[in-house]
Amino acid sequence: MTPTLYTHVLDAECYKVRLLAALLGLPLDCVAVDSYPGEETRSEAFLALAPAGTLPVLEAGGLVLCGAPAILTWLAATGDVTEGWMPQDPAPRAQMQMWLGFSQRLSATAGAARLEAMFDMPAPEGALAAAEACLRELELHLAIRAVDDGAWLVGDHPCIADIACFADVALCPDAGLLHDEFPFLRHWLYRLRALPGFLPMPGIHPLHELRAG
Amino acid sequence: MSREHALDDWYPVADTVLPQIRATRLLDTDLSVAWDGETASVTGPDGTAYPAEIRFDHVWTCLGPAPRPLFGIEEADQPGRRRVPCGGVRVRCSPLRAVENFLDIAHFPYVHTGILGAEPHTEVFPYEVKIREEVDEVWATKVSFYQPQAAKSAGGATDIRYEYRVPHPMAAVLYKTCPPRPSEWDVIAIFVQPVSETVCIAWPWMALFDDTSSQAELVQFQQEIFLQDRSILENQIPAGLPLDPRMEIPTRADLTSVAYRRWLKRRGALYGALTEAE
Amino acid sequence: MTTFPVALAHDLPPGRVQRAFAGGRDLVLWRSASGRAMAWDNRCPHRGMRLSHGFVRGERLACLYHGWQYGTEAACAHIPAHPDLAPPATIRAAAYDLAEAGGVIWVADEGYADPPDMPLAVMPLRSLTFRCDLATLAWACGLEPAPLLFLPEHPSLVIAPNPLGPDRTEAHVLTAPLHAADRIAAIHQTEALRRLAEEAAG
Repeated sequence: MTPTLYTHVLDAECYKVRLLAALLGLPLDCVAVDSYPGEETRSEAFLALAPAGTLPVLEAGGLVLCGAPAILTWLAATGDVTEGWMPQDPAPRAQMQMWLGFSQRLSATAGAARLEAMFDMPAPEGALAAAEACLRELELHLAIRAVDDGAWLVGDHPCIADIACFADVALCPDAGLLHDEFPFLRHWLYRLRALPGFLPMPGIHPLHELRAG
Repeated sequence: MSREHALDDWYPVADTVLPQIRATRLLDTDLSVAWDGETASVTGPDGTAYPAEIRFDHVWTCLGPAPRPLFGIEEADQPGRRRVPCGGVRVRCSPLRAVENFLDIAHFPYVHTGILGAEPHTEVFPYEVKIREEVDEVWATKVSFYQPQAAKSAGGATDIRYEYRVPHPMAAVLYKTCPPRPSEWDVIAIFVQPVSETVCIAWPWMALFDDTSSQAELVQFQQEIFLQDRSILENQIPAGLPLDPRMEIPTRADLTSVAYRRWLKRRGALYGALTEAE
Repeated sequence: MTTFPVALAHDLPPGRVQRAFAGGRDLVLWRSASGRAMAWDNRCPHRGMRLSHGFVRGERLACLYHGWQYGTEAACAHIPAHPDLAPPATIRAAAYDLAEAGGVIWVADEGYADPPDMPLAVMPLRSLTFRCDLATLAWACGLEPAPLLFLPEHPSLVIAPNPLGPDRTEAHVLTAPLHAADRIAAIHQTEALRRLAEEAAG
C-alpha cells in the first residue's frame, strides 16, 4: 500500500521526505496541507493526526509517523533494498544518528531564519548567526572527510542524514545566507543534486547542465 | 520624490484568509493592520487611521491624500470560480522587478522547468503589446507558449494562450487558457506590497474554474511557481528596475517589459525604479 | 594590489560555476568542459541576473533566468527565446584577466593578472573566509599584510589572502605534500587561526 504523506510544497522538512522517496523510487500519496496561509496544521482534524501541529506526517496502514527524521528512517528501513541509505554497522549507524541530530539544529536555525525571511514568521533571536556556525561546522567535517576522499557525511554512500542536512543547507540562500564561502559544502550539495532521481524544490533548481541542450 | 507619486495608489497589506493583527510596512511606513473577519483597519505609527478596503481577498490601503481608483477584475465575482489567495511572500527586490518577472514568459523553461516550460520548447512567438489609452493599462495579447503542466487542472502538456494586463504599477493580471473550460480564462494575479524600494511582499491570487483540486493544492501549485521566481528576483543587479534602456538589453520576447517600463516612466511611477544609468 | 587570489584551482572543476570577488568586483568564475577558467562581471546584460547562478554546457556559460549562453570570449552566442537569431556582437559580459598559478586562480580587476611567485610543490588544502580585515588575519599569522602569508610555527602552510572588505577576508590555503593525519591537523590549524583572528577583530 502506498503511504500517505501530509505535506506542504515549501516546507523543508517535508521536502526531505519527498526527496528520499524520489531517490529511492518509492511512490507517495501526497496530501497538500494548507499550513500557509490557511494554518490548517492548527485545525482540530490535523491536531488529531499530529498533536504537535507540524508537518510532515506519514500514514502507512495503521502507522502514523511525525517529523522528518522518523519518516526518513522508516522509508530507508522499508524501501531501500541496497541498505546504502542507512548503514547497519554500529559506528557508521551512530555517526548517521549524530548527523540526524545535527539536521535538527540546522532546521531550528537556518530553517527558522528562512521562514522569517520569506513569510515574516518570527525566528529565535540569533538564528541566522547560529545557522552560519552550523554551516562552518559542516564545512569542517566535509573538509576532513575529503582528505580520505569521503564524499558524504558518513561512509561511501549518501545516507538519510545527508538528505536531512541537505534541505536546510541548500535553502539557506532563501534567508540571505549564501554558500559562496563554503567550497566543500558546495561540492557536497552539487553531488547530491546530481544523483539520479533527484527532486528539485523552489530555491533548489535542477542541474540544467545535466539535461539535453 | 518618487514616493510622492506612489502614495496615492492602493496596495495590499494583508490577506483576509484568517482574522489577524499584522505589523507590516508600506512605502517605508510602519503599519498595523487588523482584520476581524468582517472589517479591517490600518493604522500608522502615530495613530493615523488610513483607509482600508477589502478587494480580491486582501486588505488594501492608501497612504496618500488623493487615492487613484483601485482597478477591478470582473472575473473575481463570476459564479463558479474559486478564488485562491496564496499568502504573502517577502522578496528582497524592487516591487517593480516582481511585476516585470510576472510578465515574462521566456524564463519558463529554466525557472519553472517541467511546469510552465521545458527545453527544447524555448521559443517565444510574436505577440502584441499596447498601452490601452482609454483605461491607461498595458496589455499583451496573443501570447502562446508550450507548457508541460500549465495548471493543477491540466492533464498534460499543452500550448497555452495568455493575455497580460498591467492595471497598476505594482499589480498585474494574467488571463490564461483554462484547461477544463476552454471558453473561459483562468485568472492569476500578483499584487505587490512595496515595503521599500528594494523589498516587497508579493501576494499571488487566482480566480479559477477547478472542481477537483483542494484549496491547499491550488495554493501550493501557485506558491511553488512564485517561490521559484523568488531566488531569481533576489539575484538581479541592481535591485531597482532600470528605466534607462542602456542598462539592460531587451529582445522581441521582452516587448511587454519594454512597454511596462515605458508606461511607468510616462506615468511617473518611479518608486522602485532607477532612471539613470549607473 | 590589482591581482587577487579568488579560489583554489582544485575547487573549480570543469563544468562548474561559482561566485568570486576581486577588488570590490562581484564576479562569476567558471570553468568550461575543456578546462578553461574565466572570470566575468557577475551580471547577465539581459536582465541583470547573477551569472554565478547559471550553468555550464560545453564551452558556454548559460544564465539561469532565460538561458542566454555566452561563449569563452564572453560574447552572447545563443538566446533560447529566439533560437534562430544570431545575437548581436554588442551583447557581452565584461571579462577580467585570469591566471592559474601554484594551484590558485588569480584575477586582475584591471589589466593583466600578475600572480606572486608561489612556493614549489604546494597542494591545495582549503579556502575559508575570516570575519576580519586582512591586517588582522596577517597579525594572527604574526606578519604584516602581504600577497602571501605563512604560519611561522607551521611553515608548510601557505595562505593567499583576498581582502573583501573591513570585516571579510578570504584565505586560500595550501600546504606541502602531507600525510592524511597531517593534512587533518593542518585543517584544524586553519580553524584555530580563524578563531584567533576573529576574536581579535571582536
